[in-house]
Amino acid sequence: MQTTIERNTFGKRLKTMLKVDFRRMFTMPLLYILVGACLLMPIAILVMTTMMDGAVSVDPTTGVETVIEGFDSVWQIIGSVSGDAAVGTQDAAAGMSLTSMCNINMLYFAIAVLVCIFVAEDFRSGYAKNLFTVRAKKTDYVTSKTLVCFVGGALMILAFFVGSLLGGAISGLPFDMVGFSAAELVMCVASKVILAAVFVPIYLVMSVAAKQRLWLSLVLSMMVGMFLFMMIPMLTPLNAGLMNVLLCLAGGALFGVGLGAISNTILRKTSLV
Amino acid sequence: MNAIEIRNLTKSFGPKQAVSGLNMTVPEGAIYGFIGENGSGKSTTEKIICGLIHPSGGTVKLYGKDHTDADVRAGVGVLIEAPGCFPNYSVWNNMMLQAANLGIKNAEQEVVKVLKTVRMEGAASNKYKNCSLGMKQRIGIAMALLGNPSLLVLDEPINGLDADGMRIMREVLVDVTKNGCTVVVSSHILGELEKIATHYGIIRGGKMLCEMTAEQLEASCRTYTALQAKDMSRAKALLACKYSRVEQDEAGYIRVYDAPSPEEIVTHLYENGILVSEIKTDKIGLEEYYIDLMKEGK
Repeated sequence: MQTTIERNTFGKRLKTMLKVDFRRMFTMPLLYILVGACLLMPIAILVMTTMMDGAVSVDPTTGVETVIEGFDSVWQIIGSVSGDAAVGTQDAAAGMSLTSMCNINMLYFAIAVLVCIFVAEDFRSGYAKNLFTVRAKKTDYVTSKTLVCFVGGALMILAFFVGSLLGGAISGLPFDMVGFSAAELVMCVASKVILAAVFVPIYLVMSVAAKQRLWLSLVLSMMVGMFLFMMIPMLTPLNAGLMNVLLCLAGGALFGVGLGAISNTILRKTSLV
Repeated sequence: MNAIEIRNLTKSFGPKQAVSGLNMTVPEGAIYGFIGENGSGKSTTEKIICGLIHPSGGTVKLYGKDHTDADVRAGVGVLIEAPGCFPNYSVWNNMMLQAANLGIKNAEQEVVKVLKTVRMEGAASNKYKNCSLGMKQRIGIAMALLGNPSLLVLDEPINGLDADGMRIMREVLVDVTKNGCTVVVSSHILGELEKIATHYGIIRGGKMLCEMTAEQLEASCRTYTALQAKDMSRAKALLACKYSRVEQDEAGYIRVYDAPSPEEIVTHLYENGILVSEIKTDKIGLEEYYIDLMKEGK
């Protein structure tokens, strides 16, 4: 039997690489665990904060009373209306209230978990060794991983959105749209999904630099991700427009290409085992 | 044409020089036994050949082209340290992933073929993590064979294999070279290597001590006479006075190297009142040659 091997063009190579990576991503229990967690998390947050809304806790040492504030509407877990965002940020810095911490923006850290484990597994199993022996082009690997992890991240964000709707329905929180329209909400969710394309290349750089050292890639990713965390509410407010989507798209493309080139260089210049 | 041509290869990890000025030539179609002590630089050299580590200096050419050339790389099969498989995937799925990476069109047929070659077709549905060490080695070989590679680089492929596994491995390696494939195989089990290798390279401290063909090795391996006598210690002392190199081996035989004939030894001992109970002539094998070479080097 004659073995036929397809070779050469970037398109063909990327196609086979994507096929392999998508197959891996969608047969990986981690993806389903993370997507499941993203679905359940907003339900748990909305139900619990609604139950605890208005409750007073007292610090036994200082005697300071703190009133626990829940969400006023379901959409607060997705984002804030621009203009309120700056105020929200100040609040978050001062009091670290539940509503400012427990929202969809947390997911950009969860995406780091997905990317870091997905990439570290390649190096830990020795799969990367097999791959890079026969496939000299590191660009294929970086491009494919970026696209596949972006899809994984997008699924997590969408799951969180669906979970928020379910959580809202269960907890009985109002779905009132104050200061934004349904179309703007769609733009907001779209921009949040596309924003994952900004974070994935960052995590990918850290992962290929750390290789099989998962702990290191996670620590580095969280540290660098933290710097960009504050820009999320500003870029993706509830009253987002087409400009927000385009900004996220441009950011994604810029980070994808720029950091992709860095990942590529790291893979070319460092030992792969 | 040479399948591999390495000139002045150097690789250092910080202050440690793993490979220093290594030259290596592997002719096309050869089974090249790459031998050396632990930490001598074998694996580092193999990883450089496979493009997994970047050399600090020197050149590595595969079939006349730079070793980083994409077309050349596509024809390299590799088993270094352990097969690169996902533990929770089945053997079949792991093989299919690598087939996809290689861009093999008739992937299913090809995977069946290589699994049959290493007699692992019955384990295709097993999870990789549940396979024994020997099975994993065979899977690694099967993976390396995917896509009919023109160059196979195998690092300790017979580790963990049982007698049958070793026989299969020998047959596979000899078979692939019949189709023009070149094999570089490193192993510490020199007896097995001796059965198949056509060329040898002995490395020490990151440098190539010597390269030779199997015929050259055969010619270099010294003949010796092994004997057992009634009074072994006196016999050994007597022989040591007459011949330049006399040793007692692990089996208890006295070995006399460079003796003109067994008859002369028997006569010499008989004249001194010692009767020889058993005598035979033999040649040292690769293992002993290698150990001798290492001792001389030290």
